[in-house]
Amino acid sequence: MTVTDYFLPGSLSEALDLLGAHGPSLMVMAGGTVAMPLVNDGISLPGKVMGLRHAGLDDLREEGGGLYIGATVTLTRLLRQRAVPMLSEAARSTASWSVRNMATVGGNLFTPPPGGDVAVALLALDASVTLAGPAGTRVVPLGAFHTGFMTNVLQDGELLTGLRVPAVAGDTAYLKFGRKAANTPSVVTVAVRVARRGDTVTDARIALGAAGPHPLRAGAAERALVGSTLGPEVIEAVAAVAAEESQPFSDGVASEWYRRRMVRLFVTRALERIRQGGEGR
Amino acid sequence: MASVIVNFELCGRDVEVLVQPMATLQSVLRNQLGHTATKEGCRQGGCGSCTVLVDGEPMLSCLLPVEDVAGRRVTTLEGITPIDGLDPIQEAFLESNGFQCGYCTPGMVMVTRALLDHDPQPGREAIVEAISGNLCRCTGYQPIIDAIEKAADRLSGSGEQTGER
Repeated sequence: MTVTDYFLPGSLSEALDLLGAHGPSLMVMAGGTVAMPLVNDGISLPGKVMGLRHAGLDDLREEGGGLYIGATVTLTRLLRQRAVPMLSEAARSTASWSVRNMATVGGNLFTPPPGGDVAVALLALDASVTLAGPAGTRVVPLGAFHTGFMTNVLQDGELLTGLRVPAVAGDTAYLKFGRKAANTPSVVTVAVRVARRGDTVTDARIALGAAGPHPLRAGAAERALVGSTLGPEVIEAVAAVAAEESQPFSDGVASEWYRRRMVRLFVTRALERIRQGGEGR
Repeated sequence: MASVIVNFELCGRDVEVLVQPMATLQSVLRNQLGHTATKEGCRQGGCGSCTVLVDGEPMLSCLLPVEDVAGRRVTTLEGITPIDGLDPIQEAFLESNGFQCGYCTPGMVMVTRALLDHDPQPGREAIVEAISGNLCRCTGYQPIIDAIEKAADRLSGSGEQTGER
């Protein structure tokens, strides 16, 4: 352990002051389920670390038909909320009980793939993130937050303080495929949301996890879906587009080849589930 | 590297420790407080052998800086083991052969304690989900699941196998 200073700010302003005073060398940690293993193994050798557990960023409240989720709300609390069932399901599919008692929703956005399952559901729900910095706060759509593998739009001195999930229309489906029934890294994770007027799809989100350098939306597949009628042939075509535009990778869990095929299969299954009745929002 | 003083409640007693910055709760429990039931396994949050309860909820002490639990209530296996004899959960593990080498057992027992606090009569599926973060390389898990079912039956007073919830 190389840590000389471990800060536990008691408020957001204190956290921002520390970040300003120590600069980018200050390692920021929320639940510790990603950062601590690296520190324990000496892969990460930080000198100064700031823990956010006591920074008061753990509000979870229903708001305007949607949800406000503080950055350090644990996955267990997300699992237990009832307002947005898909987020509960996404939390349940992530890691183990003890990890969920520590891991945070904000931290999930910083978890490298094949992690980040909650972020996939949040993408399908049009979530936005609030970033606070010395110059004030700004709101960024989650779809514009990630810029690459473990990179994002956060500027020096900025902290992610929370997420907003708006009231959105449509039916949702969330499917995570792993090699075990529980506590398993993702082969592929799919979250979809489809709004329809009559039989016609008016709006669609198809979000993929473990299928790129970060959780991403299959934009071409979404466009192919809007305006059509959700039937078996459309679903098959849309899933093929999603597989084509996905950017899967090979790791110890699955190969790129296999993941691409599973994107196709699980987008098909998710859309089929919606066609056959959805699961509510 | 200035050490810091941390106070928390450990198994019903107030403790005060002088620790290096960001020392893990696990290392402090074992090396400074003599609570060696809490095992050091992977130190990655992947094996569950260091599971303790913080304010009654299972957490991985290898991932928890001890400063984070200042003022909170930490329970280890030592805290649920009576002075004489065993806790009913431990009895059930013993009777069901719920361990062989025993390395995972403290973590398994702590998760069981928390599970039965939340859900006194969990079905087999809920038990499997609850212990999915606790690896056992000896038993193949079935005797552990049997032990947890047995403990649930006894503690809830039903004395019979319960069905799925």
